[in-house]
Amino acid sequence: MKSRKVVPWLALGVVVVIAVVVLLVRSRPDNSPTARADRLGQQLACPVCEGQSVADSNSPQSRSIREDIPRRIAAGQSDAEIRAYYVSKYGERVLETPSNSGLGIVAWGVPALAVILGAVAIVLAVRRWSNTPRLTATEADEDIVRRAREAEAEAGDR
Amino acid sequence: MLTRVRVRWIALGVAVVLVGFGVVLAVQHRSEPSVPRLVLEHGQVPNVDMKTLDGKTVNTDQLKGKTYVVNFFNSWCIPCEQETPALKAFYAEHKAEADFAMVGIIIDDDAATMRGYVRKQGISWPVAVDPHGTASLGFGTTGQPETYVISPDGVAVCGTLGPSTQAALDTWLQAARNGQQCV
Repeated sequence: MKSRKVVPWLALGVVVVIAVVVLLVRSRPDNSPTARADRLGQQLACPVCEGQSVADSNSPQSRSIREDIPRRIAAGQSDAEIRAYYVSKYGERVLETPSNSGLGIVAWGVPALAVILGAVAIVLAVRRWSNTPRLTATEADEDIVRRAREAEAEAGDR
Repeated sequence: MLTRVRVRWIALGVAVVLVGFGVVLAVQHRSEPSVPRLVLEHGQVPNVDMKTLDGKTVNTDQLKGKTYVVNFFNSWCIPCEQETPALKAFYAEHKAEADFAMVGIIIDDDAATMRGYVRKQGISWPVAVDPHGTASLGFGTTGQPETYVISPDGVAVCGTLGPSTQAALDTWLQAARNGQQCV
């Protein structure tokens, strides 16, 4: 009887483990030169347009960067080194995601701070609501209850 | 019920957040620059090796020791065409000087079209092709025309995004020769 109850939980555990393994395997980045070049193209913003990545843009600068990235990968440069090279040429605006220094900290920090403050506010609000009685008895209510008890006691005496 | 004090605190919090965003936006606001980044940073010119339209080799490292001008341009850019008379007058004035050189670099155009354009415009300084944009990328160009004046030690000391004038070019050349920087 007990083992019957355990079986569904075991099955659920197996499914969760398989899902986690599949997710881990699939989320491992492909580090082939082509995949790295594609990824860098998406991570870099076209230096002379608005709202387009190097991968999407057809500007001469983006085309040159798309040609240049594979050469840098072949020369053994890391993704960070390649990104840093283009930042040295065009500034931080060439990065699609803000850097983790300078003003970039604001871009990363403000949403995180908002989430933390929101969570704290929800916790405080829930605690306050749970501690507050829904209805407070008035003197008139208490008087009614007292009289009812007294009447009950008298009836019991008889 | 919201008490008056609580409303004030909420209003203060909203005001602080709004002012914070305003400060961030104000700091990040960019006006269009008129000076290339390489010049602003007093950057070393990249070593680029190019072929000219008439088949000769141009190498920026070999130009070290001279004060030279690099002009990025192409045949379809109207401001490039507009600045050509100034460049021609400037080149005619200085081409005989031993420590002077000038190179045009084609940006986003093909050699065949540019040969015809250079002939038609009467451009007599060497014009290099940059088919893979290596020079353009190395200088960090953001358009055309762009002009750089390079000191004898290979540093971009003066320049402009957009068309230049003969007077500005003369001033920049003098500054570069005197070891000065424009910005």
